[in-house]
Amino acid sequence: MGTAKQTGPSSGGRDRPDATASALPVELRSVSKSFAGIKVVSNVSFDIRPGEVHALMGENGAGKSTLIKIMAGLHQADEGEILVNGKAVKFASPKDAHAAGIATVHQELLLFPELTVAENIFLGQTPKTGAGLIDWATMRRKARDLLNSLDSHDLDIDQKVASLSVGNRQRIEIARALAQDARVLIMDEPTAALAEADVQRLMAIVRNLCARGVAIIYVSHRMPEIFALANRVTVLRDGQHVGTRPVTEVDEAKLVSMMVGRSIDRLYPAKQGTDGDVILELKDVSHNRVVRNVSLALRRGEILGLAGLVGSGRTETALTIFGITPATSGEILIDGKVTPIASPEAARDLGIAYVPEDRGQQGLIKAQTIEENIALANLKRLMRGFFVDARRVTDEAAKAIARFGIRARGPKQVVRQLSGGNQQKVVLGKWLATNPRILIMDEPTRGIDVGAKAEIHLLMRKLAGEGMAILMISSELPEVLGMSDRVLVMSGGTVTAEFTKAEATAEAVGAEMTRTRTPEIAA
Amino acid sequence: MMSARLLRHETILAVLTVIALFVLAMLSDKFFTGENLLNQGRLMSEVGLVALAMTFVIVTGGIDLSVGSILGLTAILLGVFWKYLGLPLPAAIVLAMACGTFAGWVNGWIITRFNVPPLIATLATLALYRGLAEGISEARSVRGYPEWFFFFGQGEVLGVPFQLWILGIATVIAAVILGLTPFGRATYAIGANEVAARFSGIRVNATKLWIYSAAGFLSALAAVIFVSRVTTTRSDMGTGLELDVITGVVLGGTSIFGGRGTIIGTVLGLILIQALKNGLALSGVKGDGTIVVIGLVLIGAILVGALFDRNRGG
Repeated sequence: MGTAKQTGPSSGGRDRPDATASALPVELRSVSKSFAGIKVVSNVSFDIRPGEVHALMGENGAGKSTLIKIMAGLHQADEGEILVNGKAVKFASPKDAHAAGIATVHQELLLFPELTVAENIFLGQTPKTGAGLIDWATMRRKARDLLNSLDSHDLDIDQKVASLSVGNRQRIEIARALAQDARVLIMDEPTAALAEADVQRLMAIVRNLCARGVAIIYVSHRMPEIFALANRVTVLRDGQHVGTRPVTEVDEAKLVSMMVGRSIDRLYPAKQGTDGDVILELKDVSHNRVVRNVSLALRRGEILGLAGLVGSGRTETALTIFGITPATSGEILIDGKVTPIASPEAARDLGIAYVPEDRGQQGLIKAQTIEENIALANLKRLMRGFFVDARRVTDEAAKAIARFGIRARGPKQVVRQLSGGNQQKVVLGKWLATNPRILIMDEPTRGIDVGAKAEIHLLMRKLAGEGMAILMISSELPEVLGMSDRVLVMSGGTVTAEFTKAEATAEAVGAEMTRTRTPEIAA
Repeated sequence: MMSARLLRHETILAVLTVIALFVLAMLSDKFFTGENLLNQGRLMSEVGLVALAMTFVIVTGGIDLSVGSILGLTAILLGVFWKYLGLPLPAAIVLAMACGTFAGWVNGWIITRFNVPPLIATLATLALYRGLAEGISEARSVRGYPEWFFFFGQGEVLGVPFQLWILGIATVIAAVILGLTPFGRATYAIGANEVAARFSGIRVNATKLWIYSAAGFLSALAAVIFVSRVTTTRSDMGTGLELDVITGVVLGGTSIFGGRGTIIGTVLGLILIQALKNGLALSGVKGDGTIVVIGLVLIGAILVGALFDRNRGG
């Protein structure tokens, strides 16, 4: 259990603390949080009632995860206060949040694969015998009881966690939270990685917990779950609190419009020029089971948006086009000619550039300088004889810094020291220096501030206007709708719908994205 | 190019080496003589050649523990090809070196093809190659090489030991490749962030295969020089060589996590270790004492390196 730093809710140890009558398990009052001067959560207030499922919704980047982390004690709010059972608390660490009865089931489950189910449930608060040794009998009995109370009679408490399915691991995390006497359970996209049968089971467990008075903060993009489970819904947009409504007062369209909100067209640059010939075509392209029979055509001068939930096969399709995971069946045509692409090197030499989703891991070598990063994809071009021409490397970087307005001390600055937006411009600079004809941008503006975002959007439009074919993947619906000339929606590894610019409304695309496709997901 | 900040470790090392040479010269009048220094160079050459390749290996974030075993295997094959198969000695040398290079390629193949961590892969081949060497030799040593063969390990050109010329030329080539060519850029990129290197169109696997093959080749070259120097082939040759090599490279400022390191640093590291070994021995320090001093110098160098790491922006 650890020592409780707060007074009040945690002092009861294993015995359920005596919640004072009307007190709310958690209440947020005007909570704000900034990172590097960017306000990611701004003045958010809402409360959680005992035994309710409170859905937290919003697009990526709306501030949900930051808010969750504040409640879980991973981040500290800059302004505002958190009340637990009516008393203001300050969480310095996740331990403090646990002590106050707030537990989190994370998206990436944090279990120890080599320990047994029972050991995982009681990790950090193992029952001890008088001699200070582990009281195995008590631990196993309590673990059994907890799992039984979650209708998980089938889970073997002596099994190693490594051999269990995601759904089972999640149940263990929930049991662990209950073992800590959690009265508020935060679930971050709990069904994102679950098969349909497990989703049903999880929903039953959630209802069971509520009946016992545990409050659930439920983060999910999936509309059917929200309407099946939630009592109330809180929607965030750009860090702002848009509203909290009983679920009976809203419908799907209403929620989508609350999440998307602003009038989008105004914010995004208008199309320049007209579309040219088809430059890239995919015919029934598959890669193992993650990309399934994807067919699409990309024209010069066009921005084609690829929408879909995380795991729907968007990034996987891009990786297949770029040769990281070459196609296992189907044909890729460039300029109408069948062109197998076996490696990123081959893709680059064909004029394909890929600005990846994970900037820090895939896009950049953060420990190296701007010029080293920009040169990396262009080494062949920057040679004199057998050697890398150091002066041209520096010139190339200086050009990119000027062209994209990268705010840096110079070409020799280490990339790690730049802000997210400027790092993204370095990645773009690296790839545009290869003179590509096809540009794939995966989450082009994820995690970067509004100003840099607008600059990147403007640049994308300009490039398309100059005849570049751009395939854009984005989880932000407004970006997809605002930037794309056409929108494809992916789900279960394949393209499920196509919208023209005129047809692509937030409601239509959003509905297509969140439509649960039971057979595909369960497969 | 690898900007001034990276040269700081090398600068400190150079100063340290000069101080060591100075102090050792004070301690023993036999140390700082031309004859002794050239002789030390001769002794350093085998470790030095392998260390050049090891610098590349460690800059990619890898390690090669099998270099000593490759040296032993090549030495045995050289003797067996010549003495028991009756090949002409030049052909035996070329063939044995080809086998050593192939052994290095196999390391690279296992590492890239099956994604085995280099530590594990080369730990396995360390045993495998040494076992092969012992099996093939059947505990026989080979001696009686013709006189001309001893030139590689004992001869001199312009008053400088032959193998020191080889080491010098190899050092320049390695420094140019690592510092100035796209291959060198790729080597650093792979060590600093392999995924990003791949996503930039760098041929990660091909680069690694070349590097591990080069480690095999230079180990084989060192084997020929070693056999020539000691005139005999035995199956336990090169045992523990990998530790001397890695010590030199790491002392030279190459990060064991990859992404950083220079050939100059490695050469300085090797000189410092060899100077300490010889100088302390000449000053009457016993063998154990010398090892302790080398251990302390290594720890000191790593601490200094870590200090710079922290100061670097980020």
